[in-house]
Amino acid sequence: MIKTAQDMKSYKKQLKEALADKFLRSALDNFNTAYRENRPTVYEGVDFEGIKKEIAAGKDSALPHFIEMFEEFKAKAEAAGAKVHTAKDAREANQIIAAIAKDNRVKKIIKAKSMTAEEIFLNDHLEKKGFTVTETDLGEWIIQLRREGPSHMVMPAIHLSRYQVGDLFAEVTSEKQESENIDKLVKVARKQLRPAYLEADMGISGANFAIAESGALGLVTNEGNMRLVTTLPRVHVALVGYDKLIPDLKSMFRILKVLPRNATGQAITSYVTWIKGAVECASSPGSRKEMHIVFLDNGRLALARDPVFSESLRCIRCGACANVCPIYSKVGGHKYGHVYIGAIGLILTLFYHGRENDRAIVRNCINCQACKEVCPVDIDLPHLIKKTHRAVLDQEGRTPVKNFLLAKVMKNRKLFHFILRQSHLAQKPLAGKEPMIRHLPHFFEKEHGFRSLPVIAKTPFRDQWKQLRPQVVQPKYTIGFFAGCAIDFIYPEQARALLKLLKGHRVQVEFPMDQTCCGLPALMAAEEKTAKEVALQNIKAMQPRDYDYILTPCASCGSHLKHNYLKIFDRDPAAPANLEAFMDKIIDFSSFMANVLKISPEEFKGTGEKVAYHAPCHLCRGLQVVEEPRKLIEIAGYEYVQSKDEDVCCGFGGSYSVDFPEISAEILKKKLDNVQDSDARLLVTDCPGCVIQLRGGMDKRGTKIQVRHIAEILAEALK
Amino acid sequence: MQNPDLIRQMKEKAEAVQVTVSTIHTMEDAFQYTVDITKKQGGRTVVAAGLKTKEQGSLKNECESSGLRLLEFPLRPHANEIHTSLTIVDGGVAETGTLVLDSTSEDVRIATMLAETHVAVLPASKIKPDTTALENELNAVLKADVPSYTAFITGASRTADIERVLAIGVHGPQELHILIMEENKA
Ligand code: SF4
Ligand code: SF4
Repeated sequence: MIKTAQDMKSYKKQLKEALADKFLRSALDNFNTAYRENRPTVYEGVDFEGIKKEIAAGKDSALPHFIEMFEEFKAKAEAAGAKVHTAKDAREANQIIAAIAKDNRVKKIIKAKSMTAEEIFLNDHLEKKGFTVTETDLGEWIIQLRREGPSHMVMPAIHLSRYQVGDLFAEVTSEKQESENIDKLVKVARKQLRPAYLEADMGISGANFAIAESGALGLVTNEGNMRLVTTLPRVHVALVGYDKLIPDLKSMFRILKVLPRNATGQAITSYVTWIKGAVECASSPGSRKEMHIVFLDNGRLALARDPVFSESLRCIRCGACANVCPIYSKVGGHKYGHVYIGAIGLILTLFYHGRENDRAIVRNCINCQACKEVCPVDIDLPHLIKKTHRAVLDQEGRTPVKNFLLAKVMKNRKLFHFILRQSHLAQKPLAGKEPMIRHLPHFFEKEHGFRSLPVIAKTPFRDQWKQLRPQVVQPKYTIGFFAGCAIDFIYPEQARALLKLLKGHRVQVEFPMDQTCCGLPALMAAEEKTAKEVALQNIKAMQPRDYDYILTPCASCGSHLKHNYLKIFDRDPAAPANLEAFMDKIIDFSSFMANVLKISPEEFKGTGEKVAYHAPCHLCRGLQVVEEPRKLIEIAGYEYVQSKDEDVCCGFGGSYSVDFPEISAEILKKKLDNVQDSDARLLVTDCPGCVIQLRGGMDKRGTKIQVRHIAEILAEALK
Repeated sequence: MQNPDLIRQMKEKAEAVQVTVSTIHTMEDAFQYTVDITKKQGGRTVVAAGLKTKEQGSLKNECESSGLRLLEFPLRPHANEIHTSLTIVDGGVAETGTLVLDSTSEDVRIATMLAETHVAVLPASKIKPDTTALENELNAVLKADVPSYTAFITGASRTADIERVLAIGVHGPQELHILIMEENKA
């Protein structure tokens, strides 16, 4: 059954196997692209951003009232003949359901799809007690026959090809199957499962909604099996998490606007069903259905009170956070979750299935923000994943060596910068006269060799600053320049390009020497404390009142400074008074050039060279800057050529690419393939981190495509 | 009240999910349609829910003269042999091409879940623009202290569980036909 890795070593082994599954890779990659491309059509005429805020607010205001809503639901449902139970954990829920089956002399059970039933491993329990359980949702039936867990919350068998399904059905029916023809395979399930409905004594379903004001359950389905499961057998048991409680029908309709769109790209599913109480049932002794509703706690009520994690209870299980995740699309759901899958799975696993099952998978997030952007209930998934990682470390009372060193070094700017300077010397023998390190020393494992590595600059930008500092009389703007470690120590030329561009615009630039790492790498390693300390150092170094803007050409730093600083000081009395003023002053390179300086084509020569663009995650989603860089490319006289999946992550993610090199390499490969498919000569981006990854990869490929920071190509095009 | 825009939208949205939509003016038209489609598909049985006794009688005649059998309630004993089911639905939602059907009666459920083809008569006057317009009515049903089973039906049963390829007709009806009944125009 489900075998989630409980340590990094076995996890990496599993990942390697998953990466070798060619069908899985192409199926999920295509799905990822198709899903994103289809979204604008699906959401035409729907205010996604507005509705998602409304749903989130509605869900949040219901959280403190689960118990009252439950009482209201129970009274209404029981008035219509249902019996309502509560289970504090998985064990209790399993016992209750088995007891209902026993009391009603049930032998055969049919099931409709329910993630909550998966959560408590209900089938295993019922089978152990001697009941025959048949899943009836097509995907669930397939994985039940294969004795696997779901690999997606909406499409549980998405990891299988039609041929694998065909072989399986051939075994079940003892007849050869035409696997090529999916319609025929579907009809096999229709035919095989019909008798099961008619023979079953009990049907088990989940529910998408439990409506407090009416005591009705709401179910959203497509295949029609749930309707049969809740109609033909004489007993119906619905297993419902407390988080499915909503106050009223209006709330359900609001969610119904986004749930099918997000899950399957439909405006509405084939069936939406409301079941209230014990309906007519001819096969039941009293001609009424024996109707039971079991409410599952299993940690939900405690979670509802948690100031940070309660947000995760908003989830409506649409599955979209997996659909768009670049890592899910490389390794599949069996390696990207335990029972719950995708971004939300990395979080909920800790709460519902324990830290052992989460400790490896929770580290496998590159923080690309793609999931957050599509989540219809506005859960800040990447943020909560890091928080979950921290919670796992705290529960285990463990500090990994990497975290220990990171904390020690990062907190002390002088030590950190000293080490960076020393690295230049250490790297020298590796790079020789080359601009990059192309061969790693033998103590690195070979999976790290997918890209060349940059060398640390001989003279960091901070050491060049004295000579470079412009003197502007009557400046129009004074900006604080936040370079970020990558530009300061690896690519000082990107900062010089910026200075060159600002010349003639009457911009006074200041570079406070006490600025240090923005703190994102610390947060990525779940080292919140360190992230806070460096944040304080930066805010102290760059007093917001001294500048019109604090400008950074690094999208990752920019998005971290602008959005994460508030989150890491959430409810913290140590938060500096000028925190928000500081965050308000942050601006990225492209927005500053396009919207503040409003640079114009007259300044540039116009080479007409073809330029492809990579949209950094932290720019297009983090800072929501989309148009500006593309505009700048054109303003500077280049020809911007579109390539596929421009806004998909490049696979860098700082230390992610060191921790999970094989996944990073796969993500990068797709990115570079797409760029090579365009006829661009230059690949341009707004983040030095992405430059490290993309340039390293292009260098390894030996292509002629140059990878540059957008500031560089703009500076070169100046008249 | 029949709003031509709503009727048009209802038709468009339903067709977008592979529904066959036609306009009729009398129940006789519906019977004819049901018998024709059943014969065309090689089916042998018809079941109807929500008809008046007289109507039931004339459908029975129509079926018999075409060599089809009109199944009688209760339907459980016939669960395996329903080809076409004819229902009169309680409403429509134009925004999504959705039918609203009170399915509290077990026979209505069996008829609409186990049939190969579902033919639904939708009175034009009962088409609402969106779910908001339906909220009060539905809420009244849900809040009453009696059991109920209410269905929104949009297109035929479907799945994309194998390789994300859309396949119609997995466990429920394989075809849905909507007959929009435009009164006063016979
Ligand atoms: S942030 Fe990106 S990598 Fe992390 S879970 Fe979300 S989509 Fe996946
Ligand atoms: S977390 Fe959001 S995107 Fe992911 S399944 Fe839940 S609702 Fe959908």
